[in-house]
Amino acid sequence: MIDAQDLTRRYGEFTAVDGISFTVDEGEIVGMLGPNGAGKTTTLRMITGFLPPTDGHLTVGGRDLFSDPVAARREVGYLPENVALYPEMRVSEYLHYRAMLEGLGRGESKSRISEAVQSCFLEEVENQIIGTLSKGYRQRVGLAAAILHQPSVLVLDEPTVGLDPKQIIAIRELIRELGHKQTLLLSSHILPEVELLCDRVIIIDRGRIVAEGSPQDLQDSWVGNTILRVELKAGPEEALAILGRLPGVVDIEVLAGDASCYRLECTKGADPRQAVFEAAKERGWVLLELAREQASLEEIFVRLTTQEPVAGSVQVEVDDGARNQGQEEVPS
Amino acid sequence: MKGILSVMGRELRAFFFSPLAYIVAALLLVVNGLVFWLIVSYLNDPRAQFGAPLELFFGQTLYFWLVLLFVAPVLTMRLLSEERRSGTIEVLMTAPVTEGQVVTGKYLAALLFYCFLWLPTLAYPALLAYYSEVDWGPVLAGYLGVLGIGALFLSVGLLASSLTKSQLVAAILTFAMLIPLFTFGLLENLFSDAPIREALSYLNLWQHMAELGKGIVDTRHLVYYLSATVLFVFLSARALESRKWR
Repeated sequence: MIDAQDLTRRYGEFTAVDGISFTVDEGEIVGMLGPNGAGKTTTLRMITGFLPPTDGHLTVGGRDLFSDPVAARREVGYLPENVALYPEMRVSEYLHYRAMLEGLGRGESKSRISEAVQSCFLEEVENQIIGTLSKGYRQRVGLAAAILHQPSVLVLDEPTVGLDPKQIIAIRELIRELGHKQTLLLSSHILPEVELLCDRVIIIDRGRIVAEGSPQDLQDSWVGNTILRVELKAGPEEALAILGRLPGVVDIEVLAGDASCYRLECTKGADPRQAVFEAAKERGWVLLELAREQASLEEIFVRLTTQEPVAGSVQVEVDDGARNQGQEEVPS
Repeated sequence: MKGILSVMGRELRAFFFSPLAYIVAALLLVVNGLVFWLIVSYLNDPRAQFGAPLELFFGQTLYFWLVLLFVAPVLTMRLLSEERRSGTIEVLMTAPVTEGQVVTGKYLAALLFYCFLWLPTLAYPALLAYYSEVDWGPVLAGYLGVLGIGALFLSVGLLASSLTKSQLVAAILTFAMLIPLFTFGLLENLFSDAPIREALSYLNLWQHMAELGKGIVDTRHLVYYLSATVLFVFLSARALESRKWR
């Protein structure tokens, strides 16, 4: 549905997006993740046809954004960041206006509007003036307007920013619902959101893709060694010696502040939990806790996007690794 | 066409919903009413020169120009700058419409609203016709001038509005561009060289209105308004497009 090759966008001297390539397949929900200023909005603006790329190639729904911009725009529904609406219009007036802009016929627009109003739960405020609506409702009006012309791709820029928790849940629910029907590309700097909503995540930082894959894949490939947390009642020395010798365990340490808590670092993919249990059973230890710690997407994200300028050379390595990784995971 | 119409429709609606438009309408009516009354009472004086009231009404008082120089910036300052400030431009320019359609739609809305503002002044010739005889030719020509010069001024305002995110800056910029546009022609009498005089006379809006008020329709002047208007509307579309290569 979206095919971006070497997308680059420069603002004068500043390169906001630097040679990004990715694809989004039909029916996928893809999240674009990155810290503020990473180039997410610029990338989305290129996909929606608001900004042309300085360099690169981009098709949406099979239509080239250079040679056929108006047709390509028809394929896309777009909810910009901070949903801008006309405050003096009524919700229904605004939706009519947008339907007309999209070139829908009179009868068609009527049925589409009532559909959109229904699926975005706007019935109660249909005749209200937009300026008087809460942020959550405005977001929904923006969404309703974006899906009016039944675009094949829906692009949402930070759809939950500035909402209260209740509204966030409602909007996420709505996004998930829309994701069943449409290809969806959304950007966010909130991790759990992307983890929750998306089939695939593209992490970008400083205009480059640093990692790409499903939330699970990313976790697996970036976690590194598995960490086991074990709490048991036993003689500390005996426990250290026995546990340290278990297959797969590389390192063991006593957790500070609690003498009966151990942190076992195991090789990647190893799972000595059963062995720990059996060792405890054999020796009659009382096993109080046995847990595997997983690096959350949050940690991966922080690791990928926090770069000290000094560690430049190291960064290049990580970067390349991520790229190769990303390319492997691009579904063909 | 549909793109132009939808943009124009929304813009017209915005005009009629904004209090500013009514303030402008009220001001225009008060000033025009006052001027009309002054002219009529002046001409009623037996010692006054002979003249047709509407000939004086169209462009032969400073009020006419002051109001026009005020109305054009106020009507146009919002057109594009507000879209850019609020971010609605992003929605507009990702819809399947071109920059040209957006700019044209907005311009036509401003022009229509401007015509609407002048509509009540039709009462003046009607009043005159009730009490005496009116030569309708010059009246029609006068309104043609009001339309032509208004169209030109509004297109300047549109261009200013496309250049900035601030309505205030847009209004000031419009005013700054309109002042030379209006006054250059007035310098005509300062020069004795024929070519310069000729050129300045071509730009002398006051003189144009005087002729139109007498019923003399010089198509060169109309061509001037029309071509300048088209140029400014075109430049506005380019300015709106400029986001792409910045």
